[in-house]
Amino acid sequence: MRRIVTWIALGGLLLSTAACGGGSRGTGGTGAGESLAVGFVAEPANLDFTSTEGAAIPQALLVNVYEGLVKLGQDGTVQPLLAEKWDVSPDRRTYTFTLRDNVTFSSGAPFTADDVVFSLDRVRTDWKLKIKAQLDVIDKVEKKDDSTAVVTLKRPSNGFLYSMATRLGAMFSRTGVSDLANKPVGTGPYVLASWKRGDSIRLEAAQKYWGAKPSLTAVTLKYFKDATAMNNALLTGGIDVISSVQAPESLRQFADPGRFETVEGTTNGEVVLSMNNGRPPFDDKKVRQAVRHAIDHKALLDTAWAGRGQLIGSMVPPTDPWYEDRTGDRPYDVAKARALLGGKTYTVKMRIPNLPYAVAAAQVVKSQLAQVGITADIEPLEFPARWLDVVFKQGDYHMSIINHVEPRDMGIFADKSYYFRYDNPEFGKLLASADQGSEQQQADDLKKAAKLLSDDAAADWLFLFPNLIVAKKGVTGLPKNGISESFDFTGLAKQ
Amino acid sequence: MRGRPNAALVIGGALVGLVVLAALTSFVWTPHDPTYVDAAGKLREPGDGYLLGADKFGRDTLSQLMVGARTTLYVGIVAVGVAALIGTPLGVVAGMAPRSQGWLSELIMRLNDLVFAFPALLLAVMLAAVYGAGTLTAMAAIGVATVPAFARVARAATMQVMVTDYILAARAAGRRRTAIAVRHVLPNIGSVLIVQASVSFAIAILAEAALSFLGFGTRPPTPSWGRMLQESQELLFSTPRLALWPGLAVALAVLGFNLLGDGLRDHLDPRLRRVRAEG
Repeated sequence: MRRIVTWIALGGLLLSTAACGGGSRGTGGTGAGESLAVGFVAEPANLDFTSTEGAAIPQALLVNVYEGLVKLGQDGTVQPLLAEKWDVSPDRRTYTFTLRDNVTFSSGAPFTADDVVFSLDRVRTDWKLKIKAQLDVIDKVEKKDDSTAVVTLKRPSNGFLYSMATRLGAMFSRTGVSDLANKPVGTGPYVLASWKRGDSIRLEAAQKYWGAKPSLTAVTLKYFKDATAMNNALLTGGIDVISSVQAPESLRQFADPGRFETVEGTTNGEVVLSMNNGRPPFDDKKVRQAVRHAIDHKALLDTAWAGRGQLIGSMVPPTDPWYEDRTGDRPYDVAKARALLGGKTYTVKMRIPNLPYAVAAAQVVKSQLAQVGITADIEPLEFPARWLDVVFKQGDYHMSIINHVEPRDMGIFADKSYYFRYDNPEFGKLLASADQGSEQQQADDLKKAAKLLSDDAAADWLFLFPNLIVAKKGVTGLPKNGISESFDFTGLAKQ
Repeated sequence: MRGRPNAALVIGGALVGLVVLAALTSFVWTPHDPTYVDAAGKLREPGDGYLLGADKFGRDTLSQLMVGARTTLYVGIVAVGVAALIGTPLGVVAGMAPRSQGWLSELIMRLNDLVFAFPALLLAVMLAAVYGAGTLTAMAAIGVATVPAFARVARAATMQVMVTDYILAARAAGRRRTAIAVRHVLPNIGSVLIVQASVSFAIAILAEAALSFLGFGTRPPTPSWGRMLQESQELLFSTPRLALWPGLAVALAVLGFNLLGDGLRDHLDPRLRRVRAEG
C-alpha cells in the first residue's frame, strides 16, 4: 500500500510537470545537412485533396508535389508556374495557356495539354469538395497543341485565375490518379518518399525537375497533436521549424536570437465567432449586433492569443486588395450592447472545436457576454470529426469559434445552407457582380459585401490568425505571410 | 497505542480537511470571480489582493484553486459513490454465493475482470467521444472503472465474514440471505470499504485532473486543477507558478486521501491493532 501511495503522489507531481516530459524526439533533421524537419499540427486523413476536405493535404502537397499552371506569390498576385504565360481574350472569357516544355510527372510521363484538359475536367466529374463550385464557371477546356491549352468560361470571372492557383488548379497525370490517397503523382520539385501514419511524411527532391532544383534533398513533415510537444521538439533538435505556433505565450522560450528566428506575418485565417443566423436568438440581427458590441476584441486577442494577430472586423484579410479596416463598425460598447438587447437575457450553446485558439477565445467571449446578459455554455467538441458533424454539417449550435483558413472565402456567406445560415440575397448579388465586373468594380463590390456582412453582423470576427513561424537559426526561405494553401518548401534552405 | 490515531491518519485527515474547507468556503466566498477575464490583470504578480497572482486571462489563481477543489471533490464523491453502490452489492453477492452457486460468483468476478481491463482514462475518452466531454461523463467513466476494485474487496471481505460463528448461527436460525447480508455482512466489511473508498478517491482525483488536462474533463471555464495545469503549459518557462499551484494541489490532495486510507486501515483493522499492541 505504501508503495502505491508513493507512486500516486509521484504521479501527481509528474502531472504537474507533464509539460517538461511531453517532448518527442523527431526522426527528421538527423540526415545530412541538406534536409529539414518541419513541425505541423494537423495530419492529413489521406493524401487525396480532390475528395477529402481539410487544409492539411494541400498544405503539404500543393506547390511541393503538385503544381498548377499558376501559383500564388508572396505578394498575393498570380504568377506563372507550369504555364509560361497566358493570354486573355478581349471579352475576358477565353484564357490561352502556353505550357512549359520538358515538364515531366514523377512517374516519368510527360506533361502536356492533354493533362490540363484531363485535370480540369476531372474537377467537375470526380472532385467531391464544396469549393469545386469555384470552377463551375468553366465552359470547356481544349487542347490546341501539345503545349497550348485553351479554357473558355461561361462568363467573365475575376476569381477564375485565382482559383487556378489553389488546389483546384493542380495538374494530375492521366496515368497517375489510381491511388491518390496514398500515391500522389505530380510535377513538383518534391516527391512523396514515405508516410508514417500518425507521425510524419517525408518528401524527397524529385530526380528530374523542370525548374531550379530545391536546395534541400528532403523535407520531413512531423505531426504533433500538442503545441507543447512541438515546442519541445524544436528546443531539443527534433525538428528545425515550427510551421505554426499554437501556444503564442511560449514564444519567449525562443527569444534567443543566437539560436532561433521568429517570422511573424498574416494569414488568410479569419477566426470567426459564428452565430447561427437561422435559429433564435441569433436570427435577430439586433442580438447579433449586440454580441459584436459586447466583445472587447483587443482584450480578447491580448489574453487568448498573446496579442499576436490582427483585428479585422469582417471577412477580408489585409493581404486582399479590397481590404478595408472594419474594426470601427461595431466598437466595444457594453451600454450599446445592453440597449440592443433591450433588457432580455439569453442562454446559448457555444459548441467549439477542441483546438487551442478556440478554447482560449471561448472563455474570454463567455466572460464578456456574461456582462450583457448572455450566458454562453461552452461545449468543446472533438475536432475534426465531431465538430464537423454536429456544427458544420447539422448546424446544431448557437455559437461557435473556428479559424476559416481558405483564401478569399467570403463567398461562404452567400451559401445559405452553410453553417452560418446567413441569408441575404443582396450579398450574393454583390459577389456575382464582383466576379464579372472590371477589376475596379470587383474591388468596389467586395468592399461593399464586406461592409454588408459587418452591418448585418452575420458573424463576429475575433481576429486574424497570425502566421507565426519559429525556426532554428540558419533556416531561410520561410514565408512571411501564410496566404496560400500550401506551405511552400521550394525556397527553403539551411545555411 | 490502542485508540490513538496514527500519523498517517492525522496528516491525511489534515490534508483532506484543507481541500474540503477550501471547497466549502468557495461556495460562499472567493477572493475574486474565478472566471472573470481581466485583460488589464494579465499574468498579475502575487500580492495586492491577488495572493497567488493571476493567469494569462487575468483570473485570480487562488479563487480558481478554491473552486477547483470543489470540482475535484464533486467528481470524487460521485465517482466513488457510483463505484461503491454498484461494486459492493456485486462483491457481497459473489462472496455469499454458496458452493452450489459457484458459477454465479465466477460470472460476476469474470465480468468484473473484463471491466477492470479497461483503464479509467480510456473509458472516459471513449465516453467523451460518444456523449461529449464534460464533468458528468468523466464521473461516470471513473466510477464505472472503479467498480471492480470495490467488488473484489467486498467479495474477499464477505468470504472472510461468511465463515465466522455468528453467520453460522444466523443461518442456523433460518435467517434469509438478504437479511444476513444487510444485518451481519455489510456492517462487518464496512471498515474495509471505507479504506477502499479513500484510496479510490485519490485515484479519481488524479483521473479527473488527467482528463481535464487532456480536454476530456470539466468544461471550460469552470475551474479545474487539471485544466489549470494544461493552460499553464505554454507559460511553464516564463511563469512557472501557474503550474506549481495546481500541481501542488493535485499532489497534496492525492497524498491526503491515500494517507487517510492508509491510516484508516491501520486504525480500523483489529488484527493489525492487536499485533501492534503486543509488539
